[in-house]
Amino acid sequence: MSLASKTAIVGTGQTEFSKHSGRSVLRLAVECCDAAIRDAGLKPEQIDGMASMMMDESYEIDIQRNLGIPALKHFSRVNFAGGSGCATIQMAAMAVASGTCQYALVYRAFNERSEARFGAGVHNRMTAPNSIEVDFSWCIPFGLLTPASWVAMTARRYMHEYDVSTEDFGRVAVLQRQYAATNPNAFFYKKPITLKDHQDSRWIVKPFRLLDCCQESDGGVAFVITTVERARDLAQPAVIISAAAQGSAEDQNMMKSYSRPCITDIPEARLVAQQLWRTSGLTPADMSAAILYDHFTSSVLQQLEEYGFCPRGEAKDFVKDGHLELKGTLPVNTHGGHLGEAYIHGMNGIAEAVRQVRGQAVNQVSKMQHVLVTSGTGVPTSGLILSKNTS
Amino acid sequence: MAQSQKQDNNFEQMRALCGQAGKEHSAQDAVNAPMIGHWCDAVGDRNPVYYDEQVARSNGWTGVVAPPAMLNTWTMPGKIDGQSYGDDPFVQCIQICDQAGYTGVVATNSDHEYLRYPQLGEQLRGIQTVTDISPLKTTALGIGYFITTNTDFYVGDELVGRMLFRIFKYRPNTGRAIPANGQMRMRPRPAISRDTAFFWEGLKQNELRIQQCTQCKTLHHPPMVRCANCGSYDMGHRTVKGDGTLYSFVEPYHPVVPFMRYPYVVGLIELREGVRLISNIVDCPPSKVRIGMKLKLSIEHVDKELSLPMFKPDPPVKYDTVFKRCERTRIFSEVEIGDVLPPWEIPITPTLIVAGAIASRDYQEVHHDRDIARERGAKDTFTNIMTTQGLCARYINDWTGPGARFLSMHTQLGVPNYPGDKLTMCAHVSDKSPTPKGGLLTLTLKGENQMGDHVNATIVVQL
Repeated sequence: MSLASKTAIVGTGQTEFSKHSGRSVLRLAVECCDAAIRDAGLKPEQIDGMASMMMDESYEIDIQRNLGIPALKHFSRVNFAGGSGCATIQMAAMAVASGTCQYALVYRAFNERSEARFGAGVHNRMTAPNSIEVDFSWCIPFGLLTPASWVAMTARRYMHEYDVSTEDFGRVAVLQRQYAATNPNAFFYKKPITLKDHQDSRWIVKPFRLLDCCQESDGGVAFVITTVERARDLAQPAVIISAAAQGSAEDQNMMKSYSRPCITDIPEARLVAQQLWRTSGLTPADMSAAILYDHFTSSVLQQLEEYGFCPRGEAKDFVKDGHLELKGTLPVNTHGGHLGEAYIHGMNGIAEAVRQVRGQAVNQVSKMQHVLVTSGTGVPTSGLILSKNTS
Repeated sequence: MAQSQKQDNNFEQMRALCGQAGKEHSAQDAVNAPMIGHWCDAVGDRNPVYYDEQVARSNGWTGVVAPPAMLNTWTMPGKIDGQSYGDDPFVQCIQICDQAGYTGVVATNSDHEYLRYPQLGEQLRGIQTVTDISPLKTTALGIGYFITTNTDFYVGDELVGRMLFRIFKYRPNTGRAIPANGQMRMRPRPAISRDTAFFWEGLKQNELRIQQCTQCKTLHHPPMVRCANCGSYDMGHRTVKGDGTLYSFVEPYHPVVPFMRYPYVVGLIELREGVRLISNIVDCPPSKVRIGMKLKLSIEHVDKELSLPMFKPDPPVKYDTVFKRCERTRIFSEVEIGDVLPPWEIPITPTLIVAGAIASRDYQEVHHDRDIARERGAKDTFTNIMTTQGLCARYINDWTGPGARFLSMHTQLGVPNYPGDKLTMCAHVSDKSPTPKGGLLTLTLKGENQMGDHVNATIVVQL
C-alpha cells in the first residue's frame, strides 16, 4: 500500500498578494478557499476535509462556518512553519487515499506584512486579534471564562429539555469514582463517593458541582501504531484499530456552538459515530465497553445518546438502570475516567481501551471484543473502535 | 545565619505560649443600655430588640438584648491610659514581635460564634488563649507572623460566645505596595477585529447591531466574513431592539474573578430576530432566572472604551433594590438561595471611624489620631474591626428584620477604610437549611471600597 499516484490537486485559489490586504486574516483564508473550490468546479458543501500548517491563525471551524461546509471528516495540522507546506498536501492526500474524506481543502493565509511580521523580531510583532481571540470576545467580558462554564450552558438546556436533574449527573460521577476506587493508577484510588457526596459538593458553575468536573492532572501517555502484519511479530497482543474518525459539524464552535437550532445534542459526535459504524461494519450492540470522554458528567449522558446506545433524552435512565456497571451491558470508563483516574486529555482513556482489549485491565470486562473510544465533545471531535485480534 | 537563628527564636518563643490561656478578664460594666445605645448610634442599628423590652419579648427574648456583634466590646480594656491586658500570652506574643522589629499590625480574621445574646445586667468575662502561630510568612504587606487566638466569653459558668481572632505582625516596609486592584477589577476588553468592530462601535452609540448580509438579508451572530447562505462578502448590519427570551443560563462560582460582582448569571439570549448571544442577566436575583423568561436589552457603558449589552427581565422582577430597614421579620420559606440584598453605600467619615472605635471601647490611636496612624504606616485613620462587624450585622439585620437571631459572623478583613472612602456592602443568601421552627440562612457578604475588598463575611442567622 503506498500513496504514490493515488491522489491529485484539482483546484487552486488565491487572493491578491500585497503589502496591506486591508482585510482580516480569516477573510483572506475564506477567500482563497472559496476560489480554490470554484476553480475545482465544486461547491463548498462537497468539501469534507482540511489540512493546514499548525502555525496558521485561522481556526478550521471558522473557515468551515463561513463557507457553509456542513461536515468535516478530516482536519489536520503540520508543525514547523515554512517546512510544513508540502506536508499539508501530503496529509490531505493520505486522508483522501484512505477514504476518510473525498475532497480535502488545504489553506494558508496571513497578513505577514501588515500585521505579524516575521522580520520584526519575536519580541515586537504587531498583531491583530486572530479568529480564536475574536471567538472569546463574545463570552469573556460577561464572565463566561472556563470550559466548565461553556459546557454548563448546554448542560442546563439539556436538563430543561429532557427533565434531567443534578442527581442524574451525580450518578455518572459515582460510577466513575467506583471504578477509580479499584484502580491503583487513579488519583482517587480507594476513594469512592456516594450520591450524597456529589450533591454536597460545592458549585463550580451552576448546574455543575465540583464532582461533575474532571480533574486537572500532570502526566503523559503515548502509543505506537503499525500495520497488522508487523504487529504479528511484536510482544503484545495487537489491538486492532477497527475504525477511526474525526468530525466537525455545521456551525461548529469551541464548546460554544450556541447558534445551532438545537444545542443539546452533539452533531460532531454523531458524525464520528456514523463513520465508525459504517467503516467498521459494527453497531452499538457489538461494543463490549466504551470509553466516553468525561470532562463533565453531562457529556457522558449525551454521548450515550449520540452513539446510539439509548434513545435521545433517556441516557439518565440507562445509567440509573446500571447498564454502565462492570456487570452491565456497556461498562463505561472502567479506569475511572477523567473524573476518577486522571485528566490526560482523553489519552489515558485510549490506554484503558488498549488494556481492556488485551485483557490487562484492573476492572476487566469479561466478554471483550470491541471498545468504543471517544474524544472531547463540544469541540470538533474524534473516535476509535479498538478490537481484539481474531486473526 | 545569625538572622535566621533569631527568627527561629521568635517563632519558638511564641509557639511556647500556644495553648496558654490568659487571665480571665471581666467586663468593666455589665451589659447596659447606654453602651448599647452608643454602639447603635455609631453604626446606625435601629433594631428595637436592642432597646424596647416589649418588642424584644414579642420576638422571643426575655428582655432587651445586646447586639451580638458587641460580643468582644464588653471585655475591652477601654482605658486611654494602660491600654492592654499586660501579661496575657497574646500580649506577650505581640511584644516578642515588636521587640524583633515586627511592629506592623493588621487584623486579618475575626470570627464570632453567638451561643446566645447577652442581656441587660449580665456580667461578661472573657478568657483568651493563643491557639496558633504561623511560621514566618511573606505576604503583600510584608514579612511576619500570623497569630491566632480564641476567646471564650462567659456569663457566670455559661459559655455565651466565642471569638477567633487573627492578626498579622509584620516588619514594616518589607512588602510590596498593595496595587490598587482597580486594573484587575476592570472588565476585560473584547478582542476586536475588522469584521466585528461594527458591533462594539454600535454599543458605544447605544445600538445593538446584528450583522446582515446585504445580498440575501440573512442575519448572522457572531459576525461572519462571508455569508454561508449566498456566498456574498458584502456584509452590513441591522440595529435591533434587543427583545428576546432566555434560552439557557449558568451561574459561575469558581474560580472567583476580580472583575465580576457575585452572584452573577450568564445567559444565552435568543433575540426575537432568531440569533443568539451571550450576555449577563441583570436586575434579577439568580433565584428568579428561568429558561424562557422574556428579556429586554439594557446597554451598559462600562467606561470610555467599553460598552456591553446586558439583558433584564421584561416585565421587571420585583425585588428590593433600595437598602432600607425591614420592620417585619422575614419568613424562612419566603427566602430563596440566590436572593440578593440591595447594596448599601456607606460614606466613610472621620466621625464614623472615631464613633465606631469609641463605641467599641477601642482607644487605639490609629482609629482617631491621623498623625500616629501615619507614623504606623497607614494613610490616615481607619475603621476598627468592631465597627466593620457592627456595620455588617446592621446590614444583614435590616434585611432580615428584628426577629432574626445571629448564630455566627465570620469576617475576613482586607483593605482598610479611610476617610473619604465609600464602602459598598452587598450580600446574598448562599445557603438555607430548615430547622424544626423556621430555618438557618447563610449569607455571603462583601464590603468593598475603591481599593478593593474591605471585608468578606459569612453570616448565619436563624429565622
